[in-house]
Amino acid sequence: MSVITVFSGNFCKEDPVVLEVTSSTGYKLVTDKVLISDASRLSGMGEGKIERAFSATTSVFNKFTHEKERAIAYLRLALAETLSDDDLFIQGFAGQLIPKEVSHVLRVCLIADLKFRTKVAAEEQGLSEKDAVKLIHNEDNDRAAWVNALFGNKDPWAASLYDIVIPMDKKDVAEAAALIVKNLDSDVVKTTESSRKAVEDFILAANTEVALVKEGHTAGVNVKDGSVTLTINKHVLMLSRLEEELKSIVSRVPGVKSVDTKVGRGFHKADVYRKVDLEAPSKVLLVDDEREFVQTLSERLIMREMGSAVTYDGESALKLVSKDEPEVMILDLKMPGIDGIEVLRRVKETRPEIEVIILTGHGSEADRKVCMDLGAFAYLHKPVDIDLLSESLKKANEKIRQKKAAMS
Amino acid sequence: MSKKDTILQAATRLFSEKGFKETSIAELSKTTGAAEGTIFYHFKNKEDIFLSILEDTRNRVIEEFERYLKEGKFDSGLDMIEGATSFYFYLAGMMEEQFLLLHRRHPHELAEVNPVCREHLEAIYNCFVNGFEQAILLGQKDGSIRKMSSKKTSLIIFSMVDGLVRFKTYNLYDAGALHKEFIELCRRMLQKK
Repeated sequence: MSVITVFSGNFCKEDPVVLEVTSSTGYKLVTDKVLISDASRLSGMGEGKIERAFSATTSVFNKFTHEKERAIAYLRLALAETLSDDDLFIQGFAGQLIPKEVSHVLRVCLIADLKFRTKVAAEEQGLSEKDAVKLIHNEDNDRAAWVNALFGNKDPWAASLYDIVIPMDKKDVAEAAALIVKNLDSDVVKTTESSRKAVEDFILAANTEVALVKEGHTAGVNVKDGSVTLTINKHVLMLSRLEEELKSIVSRVPGVKSVDTKVGRGFHKADVYRKVDLEAPSKVLLVDDEREFVQTLSERLIMREMGSAVTYDGESALKLVSKDEPEVMILDLKMPGIDGIEVLRRVKETRPEIEVIILTGHGSEADRKVCMDLGAFAYLHKPVDIDLLSESLKKANEKIRQKKAAMS
Repeated sequence: MSKKDTILQAATRLFSEKGFKETSIAELSKTTGAAEGTIFYHFKNKEDIFLSILEDTRNRVIEEFERYLKEGKFDSGLDMIEGATSFYFYLAGMMEEQFLLLHRRHPHELAEVNPVCREHLEAIYNCFVNGFEQAILLGQKDGSIRKMSSKKTSLIIFSMVDGLVRFKTYNLYDAGALHKEFIELCRRMLQKK
């Protein structure tokens, strides 16, 4: 008596595996299509609008309309109500919405390397390699955005998100299906008293979220035994007003025993990067002891939608590199303490994937050679034209994206 | 006027005209005739001056607005809305520099990292929105205003008056010419049919 979810890359033989498992177990198949239609019925929103929740791109109007959040809230409700049943096989994006407290769920991921997937694309749909790669890239992007939005994990295939990740380039359909069925017997995915309760809490959370989005609000919703905790994840100046209103909306939801609010990550600017956006080109770290200069530069980069952080000496830069993950670093050579060349050397030793752009007012031709030999991405002179710097940043970014794409 | 008040007054003008970042202590010293040492004797740093201005603004706004609502005579909740919004425009005119400061981005950015700043701003905005909400609730009780969410409606009314002041501040249009229509619209929006 359990539930299976499967979330896969495209061209990983998902459909035949699902078919084999459902026919051998008799589990009822629930696809995204079914849930989208349920959510559409519950909300009165069109199916197309609901389906758009699974896309990586968000409408520019969403800031004012919260359409995406509304779609997800109703999808969650449709899913939560479905979970009152047992013996389900939930296929697609929506399955990721089940909270981990609902422990009688076997979470499966099917994935394969690019070579295998392009081959399957050619067999199944006669796609050329170029078209297949493009399609795979696009759909992976949607999946990455979905997983990132839900769990803050950029890797949609991360093992931590699943009970089993099956490499389809190494297993055939029958083996994969057998593996899933075998794992269904495992004690950890058996329905228990507490996992049943978790489903009830999930239903209440979904109803709470719907009540909130109906009033135009969004907040993180957590429910434990009927007690609701709302997390406000954005900065709001009139916080007490907002808390009051959220509480009054939620306390009217049937089944809610108590409501509490707290402020979450998005409320305080805890992150050193002032703007973290999936579509923002990169996380840029500026290292320069001329404070005025870096602050101005940082603001201009933010205006160009690049998240940036600032440090004023080599030592703090290295510290930040080790605990955080800048993608690109803009580095001055002449600084007190550890100088730029040494920072470059150490960064390239420990974190070669970080692209370093040298920006210096004093460097000589010899310095340039040293830096480029050490693996700097570009060497620019101050005063720098912001357009030229932007261009370099974009190129560095492109290189990083290509490397990442090649690795996955 | 004490030296400290002179500094605050000059800083209010400079911050509102040029912005926080563009204003230097050297300039403040030049405008007020107070030595930089004197300025730092009264205030820890530039941010401290800024926060003191906000605190003064907060105290004055709350005192004036609350006194007006308490002592004003209104025939109905709907009339109170008219009075409260008109008084908002009056205050914006009286405290032009402070409102200009409130319309800048910097205080709101600072509020995201500085709890003291956040608290001042929240109190200022709350004071106005609470006043409008109070009027709506009164109107719903006396039958002059129809049933609608008092919380959301008071925020929307605030965004309208705040927007009109911005029109004036940045000379988008002669805001005075819109006042009569604004009052009429508010009435039509709220009035029980």
